[in-house]
Amino acid sequence: MSDHKEEWGSRLGVILAVAGSAVGLGNFLRFPGQAAANGGGAFLIPYFCALFLLGIPIGWAEWAMGRYGGKKGLHSAPMIIGAVGKGRVARYLGVIGVMIPLGVSYYYVFIETWTFGYFLKYLTGGIGVDATATVAQQTAQSSEFYNAFTGAAQDGVLFTGDSKFTIISWIVVFAINLFFVFRGLSKGIEKFVSWAMPAMAICALFVLIRVLTLGTPDPGQPDQNVINGLGYMWNPNYSKLGDFSTWMAAAGQIFFSLSVGFGVVINYSSYLKRKDDIALSGLTAASTNELFEVGFGGMITLTAAFVFLGLSGTTAAVATGSFSLGFATLPVVFARMGALGNFVGAAWFFMLFLAAITSSLSMYQPAVALIKECLGWSHARATATIATLGVFGAILTLWYTQGGQFWSTMDFWVGTYLIFALAGVQIIYFAWSFGIDRGWKEIHQGASIQIPPVFKFIMKYVAPLYLIIVFVGFTFQNLGPSITAAWASTGSRVAIIAILLTLSFLVIVTYFGERRQRALGVDIDDLQPAD
Amino acid sequence: MTVGGWIWMIVSLVFVWGLTFWCYRRVLTSPQEERVPPGYGP
Repeated sequence: MSDHKEEWGSRLGVILAVAGSAVGLGNFLRFPGQAAANGGGAFLIPYFCALFLLGIPIGWAEWAMGRYGGKKGLHSAPMIIGAVGKGRVARYLGVIGVMIPLGVSYYYVFIETWTFGYFLKYLTGGIGVDATATVAQQTAQSSEFYNAFTGAAQDGVLFTGDSKFTIISWIVVFAINLFFVFRGLSKGIEKFVSWAMPAMAICALFVLIRVLTLGTPDPGQPDQNVINGLGYMWNPNYSKLGDFSTWMAAAGQIFFSLSVGFGVVINYSSYLKRKDDIALSGLTAASTNELFEVGFGGMITLTAAFVFLGLSGTTAAVATGSFSLGFATLPVVFARMGALGNFVGAAWFFMLFLAAITSSLSMYQPAVALIKECLGWSHARATATIATLGVFGAILTLWYTQGGQFWSTMDFWVGTYLIFALAGVQIIYFAWSFGIDRGWKEIHQGASIQIPPVFKFIMKYVAPLYLIIVFVGFTFQNLGPSITAAWASTGSRVAIIAILLTLSFLVIVTYFGERRQRALGVDIDDLQPAD
Repeated sequence: MTVGGWIWMIVSLVFVWGLTFWCYRRVLTSPQEERVPPGYGP
């Protein structure tokens, strides 16, 4: 891999890469559960409000900041946010933009491994759920496999137990990730997503058609049919709109689903050319994510569960959480589908694997860019450094598996809390420090569409205020219990230490980067605006 | 499924499919700067 200036090969490539980063397991597993629990069809009101008032405007700001940084030759979140925010405080706050994707990658690749392992199992006969058993027996069999595969029973069991299937699957998945990151932006990530995204859509379409043609599989249970399954997801309960928690859930779902405030878009868009469109590209990436979330996730998961498990079974499955729904409940559904069950299961988990890997590939690039930019290292050396960090995080994730304490602690602090923080930092610096007039001009440079002027007002006032309200509400609801939980088990304590160590490493790298860029004469404080 | 459920489902699906279709149509038909692979430019 030579170290020529990296850039995207095509406009569609960058759109698919950003969309691939955004489309993940949450689109298929988290969204339907959130919608069903928060008003069904009525949930779409706060959901689309959050999309247009929060997700898309902050996304545009992130695209614009990234491309602006690229004009100055900057590609890492700390340096770009430092330029937009004109100073050191902004620069060090920008470290969060590398911490989030890198920290999330520690455990996300592990979860990606589940999808890969399940896919292999379904290709070769399934996970051992007896098709003739009762639902209760099948649920027990499926849960047993899930707990064994994820090592949920005990720390270290994935290394010390008889089966090394999870570890071997992880090695394969991690190697695939490294291979494409090592090949670089255009030849690696872009090339991969340009076939992975259409393949994911085909798998989703296949599973959707199968689910919608299930009819009433058990004539003895006429209420358990596809139409009622869709009703479980979509029937509106308007009384939920009066709950603040419904609006919080909708904003949270939009946030985590679109990957705004994640640190990836700002890095990816820094490789655009100065006149490349970002207005239409940002909207297209967001709409792709919505298609997978509402168009597929909203139609498949709960409908399939309802048809075979009924109202009480589906409600119980939703209450156990997204991962349990996807990896413990749906295998029961596949076992009851008859002859095509294993094939549909394989297509489902392959689709989840593609959704996961197109996200995880994006998680390494921001850290690789930081190392290259701050230390002046080659792409190969920077990738090797990040791979070492990835292995460090993975060993902790694979060892501290009991009750999922390690990765759930990482997920709360890095994959949830810091995302709110970074999104806030970005939109405030963009609208108030960089300046909304300048920002508006920046977004429209080379734009293929004219954004309605009302979004200028939204970006300056509504989005920051909306974000602050959601952030305060989220803090009020979750911070106390999460601080207590962070010290409750060895796994969670190790996760906190891992976060602090990674953060310290990134701050030190940024410190050296700041000195290096100044020595090179780069205008990192944006004293001379780029055109 | 209630009438409200049908309405919300159809409106949401038409919206996300329509928006995505419109966006990709614009992306694929609007002109863009010609790209030259690294190493082949002036």
